[in-house]
Amino acid sequence: MPVTKDLSVEMCGVRFPNPICLSSSPVSNTGEMVGRAFDAGFGGVAFKTIGKGDIKIIHPAPRMAGYDYGNKKLVGLQNVEQISDRPLDHNLRDIRYLKKNWPEHVVIASIMGFSNDEWRELAIACQDAGADMLELNFSCPHMTVEGSGMKVGQAFDLVEKFSATVKAAVTIPVLAKMTPNVTDITEPALSAKMGGADGLAAINTVLGLTGVDMKNFIPSPNVGGMGAYSGYSGPAVKPIGLRCVAQMAQHPDLGLPISGMGGIETWIDAVEYLLVGSTTLQITSGVIHYGYRMVEDILEGISYFMEDHGFDHISDFVGKALPNVVSTDHFDLGRQGIAQYDLDRCIGCGQCHVVCQDAGGQCLTWNSATRRPVMDESRCLACMICSFVCPVSKPPMITYKEVPGKPEVMPPPSL
Amino acid sequence: MDLGYTYSQAVAEASRCLLCHEPPCSAGCPANTNPGKFIRQLRMRNLKGAIATMYCNNILAASCGVLCPTCTLCASGCTAQGLDRPIDIGGLQRFLAEHSWEIGFRPIQAAAPNGQKVAIVGSGPAGLMCAAELAQRGFSVTLFERLEKPGGVLRHLLPEHRLSAVFFDREVKMLADLGVEFKCNQTIDGRAGLDELLAQGYGAVYLATGAWEAVRLDLPGADAGGIQGAMGFLARSKREPQVVKAEVKDKQVAVIGGGDTAMDVAVTAQRFGARDVYVLYRRSYAQMPGNPEEKLEVMQEGIHFVMLTQPLGYTSENGRVNGVKVLRTRLGDPDFGGRRRPEAIPGTEHVLPADVVVEAVGLKPGKGLKGFDGLKVDASGRVVVSEAGETDIANVFAGGDAVRGAALISHAIGDGARAGRAIADALLGGE
Ligand SMILES: Cc1cc2nc3c(=O)[nH]c(=O)nc-3n(C[C@H](O)[C@H](O)[C@H](O)COP(=O)(O)OP(=O)(O)OC[C@H]3O[C@@H](n4cnc5c(N)ncnc54)[C@H](O)[C@@H]3O)c2cc1C
Ligand SMILES: Cc1cc2nc3c(=O)[nH]c(=O)nc-3n(C[C@H](O)[C@H](O)[C@H](O)COP(=O)(O)O)c2cc1C
Repeated sequence: MPVTKDLSVEMCGVRFPNPICLSSSPVSNTGEMVGRAFDAGFGGVAFKTIGKGDIKIIHPAPRMAGYDYGNKKLVGLQNVEQISDRPLDHNLRDIRYLKKNWPEHVVIASIMGFSNDEWRELAIACQDAGADMLELNFSCPHMTVEGSGMKVGQAFDLVEKFSATVKAAVTIPVLAKMTPNVTDITEPALSAKMGGADGLAAINTVLGLTGVDMKNFIPSPNVGGMGAYSGYSGPAVKPIGLRCVAQMAQHPDLGLPISGMGGIETWIDAVEYLLVGSTTLQITSGVIHYGYRMVEDILEGISYFMEDHGFDHISDFVGKALPNVVSTDHFDLGRQGIAQYDLDRCIGCGQCHVVCQDAGGQCLTWNSATRRPVMDESRCLACMICSFVCPVSKPPMITYKEVPGKPEVMPPPSL
Repeated sequence: MDLGYTYSQAVAEASRCLLCHEPPCSAGCPANTNPGKFIRQLRMRNLKGAIATMYCNNILAASCGVLCPTCTLCASGCTAQGLDRPIDIGGLQRFLAEHSWEIGFRPIQAAAPNGQKVAIVGSGPAGLMCAAELAQRGFSVTLFERLEKPGGVLRHLLPEHRLSAVFFDREVKMLADLGVEFKCNQTIDGRAGLDELLAQGYGAVYLATGAWEAVRLDLPGADAGGIQGAMGFLARSKREPQVVKAEVKDKQVAVIGGGDTAMDVAVTAQRFGARDVYVLYRRSYAQMPGNPEEKLEVMQEGIHFVMLTQPLGYTSENGRVNGVKVLRTRLGDPDFGGRRRPEAIPGTEHVLPADVVVEAVGLKPGKGLKGFDGLKVDASGRVVVSEAGETDIANVFAGGDAVRGAALISHAIGDGARAGRAIADALLGGE
């Protein structure tokens, strides 16, 4: 069958049959659901964040809103869901059920305590239930319980303290799940390491505000007439997730394995996260969009990718893109170029001309008779915005071409 | 043949797909092709996976993408119709196939040889699919084909504008890559030929000889020159196009019949330079069998559809046809098939001038099966088989048009796959 490669990976000494896991969220809410996801092909799960239950959890209604762009549905997803509202006992039974029936699959128990003692007790209870790993939720951005979730993740000393508490209580590996809603994600990551965390998971949702209703001025999701700053996820946040993972993977003092996530839908997204240093991967919004069946295409796609590149193990390419990710001061500014047009394939819409005039270097004039752009290469900024709007793609009609010796281009004064 | 989708067009079309639960498209293919899955795979950018899904059930996925009347098959249940129009499943299928050729991807592989041989008679869709199925199970397969190249109707009858030879060659090459051996210009001649194959150590024989005998109308005056059956006309148009072009150039051509074959004949004549091409049909447009989309395209080519017109005989001069005697009809009550029956309107007889006449009123297995004594056939000459495709003769299976009469490529593919599995079970089961 199409998956011909060994996709197994090891993280913190735990073997995963493949790196694709459900992330902690409604997609990993019950044992029955996760079992079906395992059967569909997922290699592991970060189970829906478990709380002690002493403070009752009630989810706002409705708890999510989709963000569409043009005719594309669910480019992003906004949610105000809380941690699990189920009794602790039910969640622990589900962890046992999963480990009993799918012993080869990895169950990571995501936990959130509201006090130091709760962190310890939850950690021990989940370890006893058979969890292979723990994931400490320092990152839910919209907890209704004050001082929890992302508030912990933004207070670096608490990250270190709770990590240490949990590490002292259990022997299974511990991941700290980080919020992107900080200035520099490597700082709380270092705190987690100081506390003894064995690995990192990121990103949790990005704090966002999806939109405001034009009739009643209420943000979405509209929870009884009000909206809140809350967690944004899905393809729209992938660039942020990739950046956070790469930053942590590159940090010289961190050196912890990473479970990467944020907007993964296709095998290409998955490979990108691996290339910037993730060892395992997690998914929520993609499953909310397509269901568990999506994993089949991710696994097949990774396997075909490995065949194409001659990789035998996923570890052969984890982090392979990192040497190419630099800060801008490393760029060679002597290398300049132009936007190159394959005009034989032009269909004459003129959008390139519009944006070049209004947002580029005004290097394109427009021939109304032929309905084609005419370029003055000496004025091209190589900003490439024309290629972003050009509808002729795959292969693209407008591509960047380096021109050795080309001086950098500046528009002349207007008077 | 017009061009297929580019990559971006295919992605755009695939993203219209609603990724249905229990996709109706996947339940609608006689060849068991699984569009619900391969479109999702394309959408999720798993292109190789999509290609593998497509080819594992259908060795002629590209040709089917071009030729299948999808609006009556996979696309007929497409839920996107609830919003606007069905997904162009055929177009996506064709794109994936062409993409696999472009990147040199081989989605299916032969299994290690199991030491057994199977002979297949006839290299149309049924024979090719049976061969692919068996090669993937380790059988050594030899295809015997009466004509000089493999492909059946697709190679020898379908006009180039419907399916180009270059395109079809690329698809058939996949079979050569599976190690299937082609023996062309080899007619398996009746029962003796069949017994010889079995005696040569072929564990089983699959008869996929098609339906190549044109039904003729047997009208008065039909012995005049210029009157012919559809199969002969189409076969000659492919084999010796220059000769047929000379025959129809600037002429009035009358095509009798209303099915897909009549459409192919009419368009071929038109493109070969006929002055006017008339399709004569005794019922009306809605009753014309055949692919609804194709009918429209043919009409738009400028072919004259002369409906409610019943041919009675031919007029001729110096031994060459110069007209079709016809009569107006009107539609009466539905016949047993559910189509309204044509009734003659007395006193409307007249002659429609025609220099060339092609009768395209049906096909039957006939010819290809001549001399196969002991093979049970029905009244129309179709081979009688069990569900698995077994004939009355031990170790001899049959399928495709030889069994169904004129049907569709997808039916032939489905038959070939079923027979391949049945043959494998029969030959390996005993071990
Ligand atoms: C003009 C025309 C247009 C059509 N258009 C469409 C269409 O658009 N879409 C669609 O789905 N279907 C179409 N069909 C129907 C479709 O082509 C057939 O259903 C299909 O080809 C049947 O496949 P087959 O393998 O049974 O036989 P065929 O394709 O008929 O192949 C049979 C082969 O067996 C060979 N053979 C016969 N006897 C012997 C022998 N004794 N020894 C060796 N070889 C032998 C023949 O030479 C031939 O190559 C069309 C048919 C015709 C005639
Ligand atoms: C509805 C919803 C509920 C979530 N609940 C949790 C949670 O309980 N614990 C947690 O660690 N992350 C939670 N997340 C965050 C996801 O696990 C994940 O980090 C984030 O959505 C980014 O990945 P994605 O783009 O694949 O969705 C939730 C996300 C969504 C959309």
